[in-house]
Order: sequence, then structure tokens, then C-alpha cells
Amino acid sequence: MLRSLSLALLRFLVLMLVAGLAGATLVRLAPGFSSDEQELTPGLSSESIQAIRQAHLADSNVPRFYLHYLSALIHGDLGTSQSLNQPVVDLLRDRLPVSLRSLALALLLAWTVGLALAIGAFRLNSSWFTVAADASGGALISTPAAVLAVLFLILRWPPVLAVGLLVFPKVYRYTGNLIQNCLELPHVVVARAKGVGPWRLLTWHVVPVAIPQLIALVGVSISIGLGALLPVEVLCDVPGIGQLVWTAAQARDLPLLVNLTLVVSCLTIGATMASDQLRRVTGRVGA
Amino acid sequence: MRTRALLIWFVLFCASTVFGQSGGELRFCLRSDPKTFNPLLVNDESSETVRYLTAGFLLRVNRITQQPEPELATSWKVFDGGRSIRFKLRPGVRYSDGTPFSAADVTYTMEKLLDPSIHSSTSDAFRSGKGKLATRVLSPTDIELTFPAPIANLANLFDGVPIISSSSPQKEMAALGPFFVAEHKAGAFVLLKRNPNYWKKDSQGRQLPYLDSVRLEIEQNPDIEAMKYERGEIDLINTVSPAIYDKLARVNASLVRDAGPSTDTEELWFNEVPAAPIPAYKKQWFASTAFRQAISESINREDMSRLVFHGHAVPAVSNVPQSNKFWFNQALRPHRFDTAEALRRLQADGFRLENQQLRDKNGNAVEFSIVTNAGNRSREQMATMIQQDLKQIGIEVSVVTLDFNSLLERMTQTFNYDACLLGTVNGDLDPSSQMTMWLSSGEDHIWNPKEKTPATGWEAEIDKQMRIEASTLDFNKRKAAWDRVQKIAWEQQPVIYLLNKDSLVAISPQIKNAQPSPFRPQTYWNIEDLMLARR
Amino acid sequence: MKLVHKAALAVLLCAGLASIFASYVAPAGYEQQFRNEAQAGPSLHHPLGTDDLGRDRLARLIYGMRVSLFLAPLAALLSTIFAAVVGGIAGLCGGWVERCFMAATDLFLALPWLFLLITVRALLPLNMSPMASVIITFALLGMLGWAPAARVICAGAKQVLKSDFVWAARARGCGGLKLMRMHLLPGLRPALAAQFFLSIPVFIIAEANLGALGLGVSEPLPSLGGLVNELQDFVMLPPEPWRLAPLVVLIMVIGAFQVLLNKQEVHA
Repeated sequence: MLRSLSLALLRFLVLMLVAGLAGATLVRLAPGFSSDEQELTPGLSSESIQAIRQAHLADSNVPRFYLHYLSALIHGDLGTSQSLNQPVVDLLRDRLPVSLRSLALALLLAWTVGLALAIGAFRLNSSWFTVAADASGGALISTPAAVLAVLFLILRWPPVLAVGLLVFPKVYRYTGNLIQNCLELPHVVVARAKGVGPWRLLTWHVVPVAIPQLIALVGVSISIGLGALLPVEVLCDVPGIGQLVWTAAQARDLPLLVNLTLVVSCLTIGATMASDQLRRVTGRVGA
Repeated sequence: MRTRALLIWFVLFCASTVFGQSGGELRFCLRSDPKTFNPLLVNDESSETVRYLTAGFLLRVNRITQQPEPELATSWKVFDGGRSIRFKLRPGVRYSDGTPFSAADVTYTMEKLLDPSIHSSTSDAFRSGKGKLATRVLSPTDIELTFPAPIANLANLFDGVPIISSSSPQKEMAALGPFFVAEHKAGAFVLLKRNPNYWKKDSQGRQLPYLDSVRLEIEQNPDIEAMKYERGEIDLINTVSPAIYDKLARVNASLVRDAGPSTDTEELWFNEVPAAPIPAYKKQWFASTAFRQAISESINREDMSRLVFHGHAVPAVSNVPQSNKFWFNQALRPHRFDTAEALRRLQADGFRLENQQLRDKNGNAVEFSIVTNAGNRSREQMATMIQQDLKQIGIEVSVVTLDFNSLLERMTQTFNYDACLLGTVNGDLDPSSQMTMWLSSGEDHIWNPKEKTPATGWEAEIDKQMRIEASTLDFNKRKAAWDRVQKIAWEQQPVIYLLNKDSLVAISPQIKNAQPSPFRPQTYWNIEDLMLARR
Repeated sequence: MKLVHKAALAVLLCAGLASIFASYVAPAGYEQQFRNEAQAGPSLHHPLGTDDLGRDRLARLIYGMRVSLFLAPLAALLSTIFAAVVGGIAGLCGGWVERCFMAATDLFLALPWLFLLITVRALLPLNMSPMASVIITFALLGMLGWAPAARVICAGAKQVLKSDFVWAARARGCGGLKLMRMHLLPGLRPALAAQFFLSIPVFIIAEANLGALGLGVSEPLPSLGGLVNELQDFVMLPPEPWRLAPLVVLIMVIGAFQVLLNKQEVHA
């Protein structure tokens, strides 16, 4: 158990290191790395424009930048954002809690609604219920995050709920299919034939089989939720990391972007690895 | 007696409602967090707004009359052919933290401003000649500044020089303007509070500003900003799009105002860089004056103004709005929309129309791409209209929207583009602020930057006229030179000016004394006079 | 419930036929600007009114469907195949192969692909035709959109491998590709179908968002995602409800896909 945990931790660290380096390389190779909107200010002299470009090119050697970044990171220094002119630590301290809170709320909503509808469809066995649930899921998944968020703003509802509604169809769809799939397994068919009630069928025969995939889905839903949260934050001006990612990306702010890549990696890789570990444990218990 | 008292109370109440009253909080939005609160390092719009509201200046250009007016300096005099300026400073002025203001602060500010590490258009304008600035403090309220070379429009440049304290413990955060920064929550808001030591008083001797505080909310999305305004959650919007303007006007016409033609223009230009990585035949087209003129004549600017800007723009002649009687060359008229004339011009230049497709003299089909910045809906629509217009003369245009940094790299470093559609925001109407754009050696000479020697005769002529304009204090000579530059640009069309946009603002009827100006900052340029009616 | 299936089929048939015969069905060309009738409400000539530049909204919707409804399913298929291959191999092999594949998937989920897209745009010529641009965009979406599903499919594959019929098949000497084809893929069908179905609307909308990077459909060609995304500037919406038509069409088409796919899943 301890060995497996330490191996997982090592894997996590290696992945984080690679993610940071790959993220920095992608940013560096993208066009516009040394450009700054400030260059277009009327009346700037040639020397000033060159100085502005040089300031961006200071981090152009990615391996050197990354090594320098890592050595500073060990001492707790995350660097300074070029575009916002503030220490990255301060930016993350202000904004990360906002996004984490939103993400947690959104996922809670998505899973509650998604599971309730999937179980409802199974329990009620009504085609009309399934069609209604499918239709609402289909309608939400066809609506761009931006449009849904805007609608919530008009209605004065918290935009973060829009994220929950955007993730819910995915949870509902996968879970519904999973239950459907489990119902066709031989032991479930036998249990049904023996007259086992729907609740008992679900809790004793379907859930134990479905739990590893559901746990995998929990891990994945975090990255799906993040994917939906970021644009909603940008559009609705929620002061979270989504807004920060967009500002940093527009300005090719390498120090900030590397840190944000690591934060996103930490959340997605951490979530999937935690769900892996949990799956292993439940798998063992199930066995 | 009681009735009379009630009547007096009622009249007073009504008067305060109609005429506004001191106190209260003005709320409006910034597009992003200010990058800096150091007034000397400002290079973004949000920081500029905070600086405008908090910093003190020796003089200010009135946004309505366009004339400099005394602020921290009660008077000034330019002499020595534009090399020197002497200021008489206002006595008894204090910063927000109580530190007294003196001539030493002006010296300190100028030293900091001219520090080689500071890159702003104001400091670059002061650095135009080789050598150092000499400051002479004649008394605590008299100071003389001598620059190494004459500077055109010297006094007005001080409209961009915020004075910072040399001795305050709060350093650059000590404010001389009407407000000071009280709180900043990143990504959410900036709160400014009334500077208790602000020097200005109104005609009745009441201390300004009337407002207690200004709350600047960070809001990137203009649609949400408009929604907040409509709901009364904010009090003004400095610039509204024509679509939002029309929507708000439909709700209540008093919510929005057209402040008249601004200095903002929309323009199209072709890549004329000889080393650009585009086919040689395209370079030949773009270098041809007849080709550029024909393109200009084939664009229906009236339609563009009507459909994209809902009539709140006029066909442009140059980057100076026609309404500007001061600097505009009155002899010039917008280019007519005339596709038949455009085709004649192209045929005379060797082009021919075959099966609805224009070909050059070597048989190459005339096709090019227009790049513009993504996310700007009006620009995308303008490009689509140009695409349709040019189809009428057999030219196939592809429209490409790029994120701003990618576009900038193509425009200024790789030169890998055919034509570009962008807008210019001219803060200052004085032509001397446009030197880097019109001089052939300039970085902002967008169609062919940093030419070693002028590539064409007319560019050499523009260089000559711009130097005359910048080297004299005689207004008539400056105007004549600038008129000539406008005429050459109008004939040669290195930049095809499309439209001069109106300045559209939204300002709540609750705000008294508002005088929206077409120039930045349109709505709050007279912030100390603004008053809120009882809500 | 036959009625629902018939209705779904009818919706897809209508959408498909309208897209194929767009040039006959549409009241005007998608790029034609009726500049004197800009921002008009619904009329006989323009049943859904006209946009800011006077282009017929119905014509743009029909042509937009053609672009999106043919290319998005192809991109969805591509991403489902990627997910099936990566998730399937990882689940089938287990051990270090699974760990490597899943680590790669995690990394894939975490990287800022936005910058790759910006770089791809820089490598493509500026005067590329709108159709070429949209095909490349959907292909990119297909190649980048597989990672979330791969994890679920890997977990599903492991579950299927534990089932009795797979043990039986293995005992009979069935392995490798045959095992994958005969037993694994049918077992994973619901998860793969979900991935395929979910990707279609996501890709339709993502294509429109990539317009901000100079990818995706370029003017004057319309796409369904682009038309739906126009709803963002909602200031004009309350007095002009007909502008919601693209969203309604998208929801109907996706709903129809879902209903028919459900039927197939149940019958599988």
C-alpha cells in the first residue's frame, strides 16, 4: 500500500514536471510571444519598442527559464506575472479559492442532478421520463457555455450553476449507459428473473459493478468541469483562475502561464490519480 | 408656520434632487485590472483611468475646448524656441497624506520620467534630442525646465505628466488629484476615495470633488456592463458600441449620448514591405498607387457606417476628423464610392476583368487576404463588407481573424500578411504626436516600417513636411505642413482611411454636470464637477 | 414511443435534406448582403429576418447546418476511435502499458492546447479557403478531444475483461485483436456511443470558439456553432426571439441523434 502510494506520488511529480515544461514550450513556440500591445502606443521611440520586445524575449530560452523557475519554486517563489505586474503567489492566493469553490459547487450540482436522473430513468422505467431527461441533457449540451452563462446573468442566478448544468449531461449520459450496460450482465439478469426489487438490484448488483467506472468518471468530471468553468469565468467576470488564464494567454505571460498549467495539471492529474487509487481499493474490496 | 416649514423642506428636497448633491459613490467599469498604480509606469487603459482620477498635473487640456488650463501650475511660459518652459506653481497644495507639494517634486518627477527604463510616449517625446534635461528651481513655486532640443507642442505634453512626491512616505501612492486609491481587490474592483487635501474649490468655495468615492468594477464583457448600467448598478459607460447604444436608446433616450466625432479611425492598409514573405506580383499590386486608389473607391463607406456603426460614423478622409476645424485640411473630401471609376483606373494600370475575375498584366488572379483582430465584431463585419464590395470588381478577398499578439507579430516582425484592417486611437490631435507613423523611418510607419531611406518620392516629401511641422512654433507654418501631409496621404492612400467614429457614451441622468466629450476620458474628464442626484 | 423515434428520424431527415439541397431550399445565398434590408424581422422574403449586414438568416442557418452537421460527426468519430484505441489498449494490456497510456492521457488533459492551435494557424496560409479551414479545425478537434473518454473507456475495458464470458473466451485461446474485436468493443459500445454523441455538439460549438484564433469557418461561410455563438451579444435578444432559431435547430438535431442512438443502444 505504502509502496503503491509512493510510486503514485513519484508519478505525479514526474507528470507535473513534464506538464510544466511542455506547457512552457507550447507558449514559447506560439506566434506573438515577443509581441506586446504596448508597441502600438503612438509616439513610442524605436528604442522603447525594442526594449519592450527584449523584456518578453528574456524568457525565450525555455529550458533555461524552466530550470530557473524550478529552482525558485523550491524556495517558494513562483515568479512575477509580466502582464499583471504582480507576484504570481498573490494572484493565485486571491483567485484559486474562488475557482475551487465554484468547481466544487458545480460538480456537486452536476452529480446530484445527473445521478438522480439516471437512477430515476432506471427506477421509473418510463419512456417519457427518459425522453424528458434526454431532452434536457441534449438541450444543455447543445448550448454554448457562454450563452448559458449569459442567460444566468440575465436571470440574476449565480453563473457557476451554469457550469453544473453543462457538466450534468455528461454525468447523466455516462451513468445512464453504465446502468443500462450493467442490467444486461448475466448475474443481474438472473437476479431480476428471481424477482429482486429495483432498489436492491441497483444497490447490490449494479452499483458494485459500476463503481470503478463511476470513480473514473468522477476524476474525469473534474477536468470536464474545469473546461466549462474557465470560459464561464471569463465571460461573467468571476475573479477566478479562468479569467487569469485568459488574460495570461492573450499576453503570452510565460511565468503566469507555467504556474497556471501546473495548477490545472495538479487538479486534473491529482483527481484522476486519486480516483485510480480509490478504484483499486474498491476493486479489492469488491473482489 | 408649519405649512411654510414643510414647503421650505419640500423645495429644498426637490432642489437637491434636481440639482444633485455632494457625496455619494460613482460606479463604472474598467476592462481589466490596472497593471500598475505607479502613475509614471502607466501603459494600459485601466491604469490610465486610475491615474486620471488620482494624479495631479501641472496643466490639463480641456476635453471640450482642447486648450491647456492651469492645474498645479497657475501659469507657464514656453521660450527659447520650444526648448524651455517655466512654471509658476500653486502654493499651499498638499498630497492626500498631507505632504506639501513643491518644485522639488516636479524635478523628482521629471528625473523619474526620463529614467532610461521607462518607456512611454510622453517620456519618449521629452527624450527627442540627445543630452540631458536641465532643471532650475528658482523658488519653491517657480521652476524652469530646459530640454536638449526644441519640442513641438511642449506645454500640452505636460497633460501626460503626473506629479509624484519626492518626500511622501507613501511614495507614488500619495495623490494630488481629486481621489486616492483606498482599496483594490484583484479581478473585482478598485475603490477610490475623496482626497481630503484636494486643492480645487467650486465657484461657491465648496471643496471639490463633490463625490465621496468612485468604485471601478472590473468587467471585461461590454454586454454585461450594459446590462448593469440598464439596471442602475453602474452610473456610466465611457464607450458603448453602436448596437448597445441603440438598445439603450430604445429603452430610454436619456441613457445615452452621441458626444460627436472622436479621433478614433478605422483603416485598411496593404503590406508594402519589400522583404515581406509574400509573392512578388502581390508586392507590385500593393505598391501601385492606382491599385490602392481603386480599392478605396470600391469600398462603400456610407453602407459601412450605416450597417456596422448604425450611422454613428462618417466616411473618413484622414485620421483627423472633418469636424476638427483646427487641424483638418478643409480642402479634402472623402473618396467617392465609384466601382466604374475604380475599374477604369485598374485597367489603365494593366489589370483586366475576365469572367468576373480581375487579373494583373501577367495573368495572376487578384486575390488577397485581410487580417484583423479576433473578437472585434464591427471590424469583422467591415472586413466582410469589403469582401463583398471588392467582389464587384472581380477581387477575391479572404478574411482572417487572429488573436492580437499573432496579428501584431505579423504586422511588426514577420510582415507575413497582405492587408490589415485595424483602428487607431489618437489621444492627441496635435500632429507632432504622429511623427513615428508618418516619418518613413518610424516604427509605426505601418505599411513599410523603418525605411532606411524613403522608398518613394511622396514619402520623402511627407518626411520633409513632418520635420517642418515639428521644428517650428509658428502655428500657421505647422498647419500648412500638416495640410500638405494630409493631402499627400489622401492622394497616395498608403493607409485607406474608412471611417471616423463618433464617441458614444452612456451616462446616467442621475449624474449632474456631465459634459461628455468626444476625447478620452469622454465621460469623467471633469470628475471633480460630477454630482449625483439623490437616488 | 414509436412516435418519438419517427419524429427524431424526420428531424434528421429534414436537416440532412435541407443541407444537401441547400442551394434549392435556401431563400438566398448565404453571403448575399441585402444592405437595404439589414436587421429586418421575419417576412415572406426572409422567413427568419436578416442579420446586421442584411444576409438572410434562414439561408445562413441552412448552409451552416451543412458545414457543421457533416463535419462534427466525423470529428466525433475520430475522437471516439482515438479514445477506443488508447483506452482499449490500456485496459487490455494493464500493468505498465496502462500506466504509461493513462499518464499520457492525464498530461494531454492538462496542457494548454490553445497555443498549439495558435501555432497551427500560423503555419497555415492566410488565403486558405473557408472550407479547408473548417475541415482542418474539425480534424484538430477530433485529435484533441479524446482524452476524457479514454480514461472511462480504460476503466470499462478492465471491467469487461473481468466478466465471465471473457474468461471463457480466453480459456478457449482467444486473445489480442480477436478478443478486442469480439468481446471488448461490443462491451464498450455504450461508453463509446456516449462519447460519440456528446462530442458532436461540443465540437460544433468549439469550432465556433476557435474563430477567435483565426481557425474554423471564416467569413462569409456560416457554421451552426458560429450562428449559435452570436447569441452571446444578448443585448439584442429580447425584441428579436427569431434569433434563437439556430439554437433551437441545434438542440432538435442533437435530441434526434440522442433518441435514435438510445434506440440502437437498447437494441444492441
